[in-house]
Amino acid sequence: MLINILETAFNLIITFDKDLFEIIGLSLKVTMSALIIAVTISIPFGAYLVFFKNKLQNLVVLFSNTLMGMPPVVLGLLIYTLVSKKGIFGFLDILYTPTAMILAQTLLIIPIVVSLTYEEIYKKNKEYNLLLNSLNLSRLTKLKTLVYESRYALITVALTGFGRASAEVGAVMIVGGNINHFTRVMTTSIAFETSKGSIELAVALGLILITISFIITLLIKSLRKIS
Amino acid sequence: MKILPLVINNLNFNISNNKILKDINLNSNEKKITIIAGNNGSGKSTLLKILHGLIETPRNTIQWGGFSIPEIKHSQSMVFQSPILLNRTTYDNLLYVVKNKKIKDKYYIDKIVEKLNLKSIEKVNTKYISGGERQKVAIAMSIIGDPKIIFLDEPTSQLDPAYKNEIEGIIKDLAENETKIFMTSHDIAQIKRIGKEMIFLDKGEVIYNNTVEKFFKDEQSELIESYIHYG
Repeated sequence: MLINILETAFNLIITFDKDLFEIIGLSLKVTMSALIIAVTISIPFGAYLVFFKNKLQNLVVLFSNTLMGMPPVVLGLLIYTLVSKKGIFGFLDILYTPTAMILAQTLLIIPIVVSLTYEEIYKKNKEYNLLLNSLNLSRLTKLKTLVYESRYALITVALTGFGRASAEVGAVMIVGGNINHFTRVMTTSIAFETSKGSIELAVALGLILITISFIITLLIKSLRKIS
Repeated sequence: MKILPLVINNLNFNISNNKILKDINLNSNEKKITIIAGNNGSGKSTLLKILHGLIETPRNTIQWGGFSIPEIKHSQSMVFQSPILLNRTTYDNLLYVVKNKKIKDKYYIDKIVEKLNLKSIEKVNTKYISGGERQKVAIAMSIIGDPKIIFLDEPTSQLDPAYKNEIEGIIKDLAENETKIFMTSHDIAQIKRIGKEMIFLDKGEVIYNNTVEKFFKDEQSELIESYIHYG
């Protein structure tokens, strides 16, 4: 039976099954959009935190570290209450749309990228602080230098965020609703197809997810080596 | 811009309740090489960092020819005991400083490379060069923009005699060309070879400030005699 399932799953992949690749396409679109937004906000923010030597810095880092461990389903619920018709952002009318899913994944990635960026930049700042201060550079120039010097580590941070978002199911299920041809992504589709007994498509998607995860792990490993 | 005399008025520096520097008062007119010496923990590196503005002190505690440290910071540079270099090639490290000092001369780096004999490592990432070469690159970075004052924190302490000799030559050359040098060192022979003025610290206090010549010629306290003897 397992061999039959795997055979059908591989068949779906190698024949470029329309439904399968539509789901993969939407998944990548949602996760990549969330990643770009999250990284654009979080890397400068996480890096800039290094220059604040006060309680605010500690508080933000502590808060961000706490949010890193937040269950996605709770985050999904929170966004649901905000964007549902009765929520304070209900007027945006984004519930059960890819936009809401992007929002959920962005909020899921932000704490990860902020915390890990802060850690990386903090280490680099310790290493280069004296040189950069000695050169009498502006804070912006220092920040750009530290980000550039941490570039490989920061790419691994982004990949970590991507890995977390692409494997997540709870939040996108709640705010996206898993609507066929509209908000159905790989993880929600696996859960749905399995529940209705259509295991072949779920396995094919699972194989794709594992492949993505494997590629991310390989990239992180080689980037760590370089950095 | 006149940078001398260096005047220090009642400089005190504490970390928690630990007094690192105590009531330092100085008036120095030495144009060439001033050596800051003393046993470990005497406050040499801290004094160097304060003079360079890496550690802030109350305004007017330190005056360079009547200027405060922020006013003169762009005319200073520093070389650290363990050279701090960016994870780039020698050329790119130099380029980084040239760009940030807004130097327009496109042959500037070539001139520095030639002056400090860095051609063989110009295209090599500084991760892969030797300790002596790293120190030379750090010195090359520090002389970009012709600063009037250069601080050197034990620049040759980890080097073999050949590199020590080469770097001493560079330092002497800089001093001859009107760059004021402040340098910490434990190396008595080196101090004798290149030093002109001596500031000797003990537990954060200046216990000797005069010429290097007198430092070795005159009778000194037991502590200094012992330092000279074992140095």
